[in-house]
Amino acid sequence: MNEVIIDCLGEACPVPLVKAQNKLKEMAIGDVLIVQIDHSCAMKNLPEWTNKDGHNVEVEEVDDGEWEVIIEKAK
Amino acid sequence: MAEQPAVSRRRSSASRRKPKKNQIPFGVALVAIVVAIGIALGTKNPTLALFWITGICFGAILQKGRFCFTASMRDPYLTGSTSLTRAVLMAFAVTTLGFAAIKYGYAAQGLPMPGMSYVVPISLATIIGAFMFGIGMVIAGGCASGTLMRVGEGFQMQIISLFFFTVGSLWGAHDFGWWKYNVISKGKAVFLPDVFGWAGAIALQLAIIALLYIAAEKYEEKRKND
Repeated sequence: MNEVIIDCLGEACPVPLVKAQNKLKEMAIGDVLIVQIDHSCAMKNLPEWTNKDGHNVEVEEVDDGEWEVIIEKAK
Repeated sequence: MAEQPAVSRRRSSASRRKPKKNQIPFGVALVAIVVAIGIALGTKNPTLALFWITGICFGAILQKGRFCFTASMRDPYLTGSTSLTRAVLMAFAVTTLGFAAIKYGYAAQGLPMPGMSYVVPISLATIIGAFMFGIGMVIAGGCASGTLMRVGEGFQMQIISLFFFTVGSLWGAHDFGWWKYNVISKGKAVFLPDVFGWAGAIALQLAIIALLYIAAEKYEEKRKND
């Protein structure tokens, strides 16, 4: 199981979402992608898209105004 | 499901960091300051206090509701989600009724209607301008209200957006006379109630919004099944 971290700190949405979509395409099922964000609206659209696409997703506020979106590729 | 998903097995990196500060005292202090400024403005000029309160309310709703006009236009393409698109359509429907009620109230008494200076000519310039604005707001990561809200959240990159948004607005205001004379005034101003009557205009506008709403829902369904 691979774990990939992409650093999207300072990137406005939709950049984190697009980066995550592209990265996830290259990954294998069961791999985990961690997207670090500090743009609050990526916290909404990233999990929304991942849920819709059928992956497991969890958001964690690691610091004030800084989140990690943890995505497990499920298909 | 014998195995737990990796998502929850993963150890949080939050534990490696310093504990978060309790934000509640800051929040209480902020509310006190907001109220104090509101009262101070109210004693000088009640309208200013009203602007202050509505401005703060709009900001809070935008931030907490994660309401984003940019995302409402962008997400259908990017994620296939039209939840924000439908939220914006809903807001349009509510404002249609609200503004119609206000304007009709004045018109029924034979008074001049407020806000009629916003009934401006439409032309190809409207479409081109809207398209350019759309490109700009997706690159900048927010429209006008969205940029302001995120600057308030402390997102530094968008301070750059705000700066150039101001520069652009000033430049636009500087040249607006020329555009108005040479381009905008060539179009035709349409005030729907003049054309269709009050009931017709409201019905038409709500019908178009309803159709767009249905289209948005159908589109989301379709994208989900792809």
